[in-house]
Amino acid sequence: MSNYFEFVEKFFKSGEKREPPLKGVRVLELTHYIYGPMVGAVLARFGAEVVKVEPIGEGDRFRLGAVWARMFKKANLHYLVLNANKYVITLDARNPKAREILFKLASKADVFIENLRAGLADELGLGYAKLSKINPRIIYVSCSGYGQYGPLSKAPSFDVSAQGIIGIAMKTGWPEVDEFYKLPDYFGDYFPAMVAAASILAALCYRERTGKGQYIDTSQAESLFRIFYDITYLSLAGEEIGKTGNVDPLAIASGVFATSDGKFVAIAIMDEKQLEALSKAMNTDLLNTCKGMLRSRECVSELNNIISKWVSSKTLDEVMEHAKTYGFPAAPVLRDLDVYKDPWRWERGSIIEFNDRVYGRVHIPNLPIHLSATPPTVKWLGRPVGYHNRLVLKKWLGLTDEEIKRLEDEGVIGYWDQAPGMCPPDAWDIDNDPVFKGERDEYE
Amino acid sequence: MSRDELLAKLFNPEGKPSALEGIKVVEISASNLAGAMVGAFLRELGAEVIRIEFPIGDSLREVSPYGAKVKGVGIPYLIENVGKKIVRLDLESERDREELRKLLLSCDVVIDALKPGYLDSLNLGYRSISSENPKVIYVAISPYGHFSKKAKEMANVPDSDLTAQAYNGYPSLIGNPSVRPEPLRAGIWVAWAMAAICALTGVLVALYERLKSGKGQFIDIATHEALAAIHVYPILVGYLFGKSRPQYGVIDYILYPFGIYKTRDGYVAIATPFDTDFRAFLKLIGRWDLEPDWRHTIDRVTDDVDRVLELDREVRKEIMRFTTKELIKKSLRRGLLPDAIRRLTGRPVIVKAYTLKEVLSERHWYIRQSILKAKVNNKELLIPNSPFRMSETPGRIPIEKIGELLKQSGSESQSKS
Repeated sequence: MSNYFEFVEKFFKSGEKREPPLKGVRVLELTHYIYGPMVGAVLARFGAEVVKVEPIGEGDRFRLGAVWARMFKKANLHYLVLNANKYVITLDARNPKAREILFKLASKADVFIENLRAGLADELGLGYAKLSKINPRIIYVSCSGYGQYGPLSKAPSFDVSAQGIIGIAMKTGWPEVDEFYKLPDYFGDYFPAMVAAASILAALCYRERTGKGQYIDTSQAESLFRIFYDITYLSLAGEEIGKTGNVDPLAIASGVFATSDGKFVAIAIMDEKQLEALSKAMNTDLLNTCKGMLRSRECVSELNNIISKWVSSKTLDEVMEHAKTYGFPAAPVLRDLDVYKDPWRWERGSIIEFNDRVYGRVHIPNLPIHLSATPPTVKWLGRPVGYHNRLVLKKWLGLTDEEIKRLEDEGVIGYWDQAPGMCPPDAWDIDNDPVFKGERDEYE
Repeated sequence: MSRDELLAKLFNPEGKPSALEGIKVVEISASNLAGAMVGAFLRELGAEVIRIEFPIGDSLREVSPYGAKVKGVGIPYLIENVGKKIVRLDLESERDREELRKLLLSCDVVIDALKPGYLDSLNLGYRSISSENPKVIYVAISPYGHFSKKAKEMANVPDSDLTAQAYNGYPSLIGNPSVRPEPLRAGIWVAWAMAAICALTGVLVALYERLKSGKGQFIDIATHEALAAIHVYPILVGYLFGKSRPQYGVIDYILYPFGIYKTRDGYVAIATPFDTDFRAFLKLIGRWDLEPDWRHTIDRVTDDVDRVLELDREVRKEIMRFTTKELIKKSLRRGLLPDAIRRLTGRPVIVKAYTLKEVLSERHWYIRQSILKAKVNNKELLIPNSPFRMSETPGRIPIEKIGELLKQSGSESQSKS
């Protein structure tokens, strides 16, 4: 046991490594913003060959969605991360010739992902009915706010709108303050995207056994409902939980407490054993504070008052020492910069320094899904609009340089507008870039 | 048949197989709900899940909103464990440890959500099990993981969603500093859920890979790590700006407006993805006078938060003049235009922020079976359905097995209390 952590570390660092797990899986995606692109991003990090289709010129409109509108070498670094390891091409789905190309690509794909508004893919003639006819083995995934059918399916579904329509928006805030806060950082996109990625992986396993593809109708609403215990609570207790400030209603006691050195520590006591541990640390008998009333609203608030007073006389470090010694859940409340600089995350590899061929050295997150033999990897970052047109048309469809030239001349495929978010970095010598010219792949 | 009818038929789950049929999972998660969720997701996809419970220290059935119980078990316990086979073992006993070893040697997936290193100390951890069962996929889920210096240092600190939110930097972003300056928790269990879905993804990647290599592997998930890494922002903001975002509760950092607003009679969620949408929004609320100062995204999305809050105060004041219905009607009128025109003229996305009661009275969720109705004790319980909406291998929450679960678990906890 004493060397357990060292064993695991060594096993992850120098244990057997195998080929990328999704090597040979071909994915075609018609996606924009965060929800759809994140699905393909997960597959791409595990070695799938993902081709992302964007409109000519401006591309995915999320290319402009940079934090505080700040570009990095004329690109949105968030876009570059979300679309890492992907081949980006342009096709106008409304152009008949471009659609022919799309159908050909779809006939060679294992997975198709789209997050257009519900029903639009069908209207464009790119729905499941059509693509499964071309390619019966295809795993087709639609990502929408409320699902592809049903009376609400056409309602608008931006992250915050979905949070509003499914009642999650009313969950975060102080009971005594007349304001509601959305879940920040697009949890309403990222969590459903992970649900979609998991569905695809399950469908791939099933197809391996049976040869059968299928249609997957994932939604923000149903993904978020799944972790929304309030639904069942309302039907059982007849009342809504509503917003509860820093109290986790699942806990015996919980809160974010101010320490004597001006910091904040989160403490959540989930069971009696942990309450006993905290009692020992505080040298009081919390178990007897509200006998028989544990987990009632009154008891939660009484315990929280006692804990709050205790924490206010301790530094953050002192509280954490107690948590380690006695064993109760406690953690400092970090901010962005603390997260970014946390040596633990660097050591584990969920933050990495990556040297990209086009964009140079960057610090970015990697997927926090640590697999010992087949870890997720970043091979290249997102690319300018249409950057991989030539490479993909050659590699997937065997087109010649002349055929590609003709498609370019006819405007069937195209490249970036000269605008931030869409174009290459200033100093990049695009005319002598062999990957852009389709002469070699991103990595060998 | 209409598109709706065709799709409803395609997704009818009756008589269909499951994706993970034949996969055997042993879940050892005690009171860690994130671990139980991983087992639950695998169960929804058709795996056979055995949940190991201990005579002492297994208190998950007590964990419930304000202690609410269904026949002696809490709501999370019910939802996450229905359909699992519960096996009670006492790891203090040599015979039970041998029993567990047998289960671990014959299964495909092990979920270990106990204190890191504990199973290893009983010779039941990855190194012991994988040497005899090399096909095993072993997923560990804990606050700080099973490797790294910090993981070892913090091994004795148990897990919770709130502490995981805190260590991922989430509560620092939520709230309104002009009202209450302290960090604020997200109102649902985001950190546990994200870690659990990451663990599931890892398991499925490993299962797929095993079809080729014939070998299993170790997967390590840390609840205090996953959320921030998936969300990307804390790391990119730290890197690009060398500073942290302030509490941003009522506004946003890549769009404006993008949040929840109070109307005369309720609340709405408003999003204006593009400049054209913002301009349309100004017309809609009758404040075109704001246009020159706030025309471009870079005017409204800036690290000069105080400046954006000036605009936000004006916008909030204006929205309060309208009823929810009026605002939605105005935005829908713009939505009727064809796509190509709408793109030029813009359309703010405005929807009602529903209370949970209002949400649950929507037909849509029952037509789609997003929410299931289960009869327990003559009471109708609403249970969210599986989010894995797959046409050939639908994800399932086996509510018909609730009675069985309560028989397995309820009686004992009652006799204890």
